[in-house]
Amino acid sequence: MPVSKVLTRGIGQVDLRDLKVYRRRGGYRQWKRVITELQPAEVVDLVSKSNLRGRGGAGFPTGRKWGFLPNNGRPRYMVCNSDEAEPGTFKDRMLIEETPHQVIEGMLIGAYAIGAKQAFIYIRGEFKRGYEVFTKALADARDAGLIGEQLFGTEHGVEITIHRGAGAYICGEETALLNSLEGKRGEPRLKPPFPAIKGLYDEPTVVNNVETLAFLPYILKNGPEWFAQIGPPKSPGLKVVSVSGHVKKPGNFEVALGTTLRKLLALAGGPRDGRKIIAVQPGGGSSACLFEEHLDLSYDFDTMAANGTMLGSGAVVFFDDTTDFVKAAHALVRFFAHESCGQCTPCREGGHWLEVTLERILHGGGLDSDIDMLVAVARQLTGINLCPLGDSIEPFLASVVKRFESQFRGYVRKRAIAV
Amino acid sequence: MTASRGFAETLAKVKPEAEKLMAQYPQKRSALLSILHAFQNAEGWVSPEALAAAAEMLELPVSVVESTASFYTLFFRRPVGQYVLQVCRNLSCQLNGAEEIMAYCREKLNVRHFETTYDGLFSYEEVECLAACDRAPCMQVNLEFVYDLTREKIDEILRAMSAGNFEVAPLPQTAKPDVTWFVAHEGEKKSPGAQGVSSPNDPGGIGDPSGRQMVERIVRDPRLVEARPTAERLVRDGAARLEAGAEH
Repeated sequence: MPVSKVLTRGIGQVDLRDLKVYRRRGGYRQWKRVITELQPAEVVDLVSKSNLRGRGGAGFPTGRKWGFLPNNGRPRYMVCNSDEAEPGTFKDRMLIEETPHQVIEGMLIGAYAIGAKQAFIYIRGEFKRGYEVFTKALADARDAGLIGEQLFGTEHGVEITIHRGAGAYICGEETALLNSLEGKRGEPRLKPPFPAIKGLYDEPTVVNNVETLAFLPYILKNGPEWFAQIGPPKSPGLKVVSVSGHVKKPGNFEVALGTTLRKLLALAGGPRDGRKIIAVQPGGGSSACLFEEHLDLSYDFDTMAANGTMLGSGAVVFFDDTTDFVKAAHALVRFFAHESCGQCTPCREGGHWLEVTLERILHGGGLDSDIDMLVAVARQLTGINLCPLGDSIEPFLASVVKRFESQFRGYVRKRAIAV
Repeated sequence: MTASRGFAETLAKVKPEAEKLMAQYPQKRSALLSILHAFQNAEGWVSPEALAAAAEMLELPVSVVESTASFYTLFFRRPVGQYVLQVCRNLSCQLNGAEEIMAYCREKLNVRHFETTYDGLFSYEEVECLAACDRAPCMQVNLEFVYDLTREKIDEILRAMSAGNFEVAPLPQTAKPDVTWFVAHEGEKKSPGAQGVSSPNDPGGIGDPSGRQMVERIVRDPRLVEARPTAERLVRDGAARLEAGAEH
């Protein structure tokens, strides 16, 4: 069954940054309907029925996340996470820069659903243009009476504040993001308590990804059944997938979950001429590699998990037969070592020493035993840190060392011969 | 460190903006990052005076503001060049030739990662994924994207920047930049091991147990710059271990 795109529809054809254009296409109608006709609990119910799972990386059911908020009469906050920095991911930047109004509408609906009067959007510091576009869109929406107090003649209202980050991958982790939003160092907090109980300023808080929130207007417009029947039942809906690496036409593609990896490769123009794809990283820098025999797997949360990797943020990187996987592993390990906040010793020290060891191998000073050590150290880093950053090093490293061990051994042997 | 000129003027410009920013949040400390951005926009960097002024506005100790600022890589705590070139070194760019692009930039500008050219025009940094993998290899110049990099494209933009007709505006420059804007402080973010000292068991020696002064010296002293990359040392260590038969 053909599925029509929603989030990326019109991008590149019309200027969706223009409030008038967005409204002409039905924009903000769902926000008006929600605030004037629906109770917050009804909105939560509709979103739960749609089976929407978080598009930021963890894939947690959005309706359930909202349901964790306690009824304690305290102020609540909605936070939109636009600190997109997972290697290979560039979908949120596109959504912010190209269609800011659907993100704003999603934030307003989400905030209303959880009973928050104040919402924040945390925009990655590097997204200067995204910040400027969003600031303008927010001002336009405010002037049009779509944001603020007592909207559409009701007693309800939502205020939105933009918060600009300043360069730290770890602030994409929700509790680090909240610390950063409080004007502190972006260091993850000990959990529990989870943000739903004690989040921003110690009040109940929901942190949702840009793409997750952007789907809300369409789920309300087309009904939860529409969303739930797209793709696999437990992992349904549309997903904007960022495809890059060794492909002819990299880009963002909005597809139904359950599309095969091979189809994604075809959408991105296929491999470069005369080359063959031998590996694919399906869910950002933190995910384990899959290989050519996996290309017909269904791209959804559960199938990826069942195959020892994850859908993550939806960043798919294809590798062809020219790839130097020692260099690729080095790039990602260096990334995690660089981005470690330094709170937990295994992540701070382990990441660094893995980087140094890989550097040694690359420069021809490696030993055969280094290769086994890489995998052993990476494994020892996992599961013992405050946040998942330290755990993110092992999947890619271990999977490529196992599959392409000869490349790693090759570097070691080169040195042995030279000596 | 060179003192910035006319800070009073900067402060007069930033203060009303800061007041507005603080009013947006239930707690004013939340405005810290935004206030530092405002100072950096005005000065080109975040000077010690700016840190102190931010601390006063937010009623925080200067040390807390400095600690927070030091966490974020986009805040320059020393003066930088008018054009900050941040080239992506992460996976998708690497697969599409970032290494060659970085080597070309370094050669052309005669700088290394984290260094500024002597004329104070360019600062060069190799950064992590910029979320533009569909147009790899890419870089940001003063946080504006430049996509699909080639040697020719780099020649072209550097020429435009030198001639003063590049599409991206230069950063204000209120103080002359040093060789590097990288600041290493004791206990900041990473352990000595992670700050470029090749072994945690081999720090700076007596009076410098954490290696801080050694790191500072290496970073500041141009004669010691050669000693900075760990790679040569690693190769040497590895070779020595091989010769000693450490492996078998």
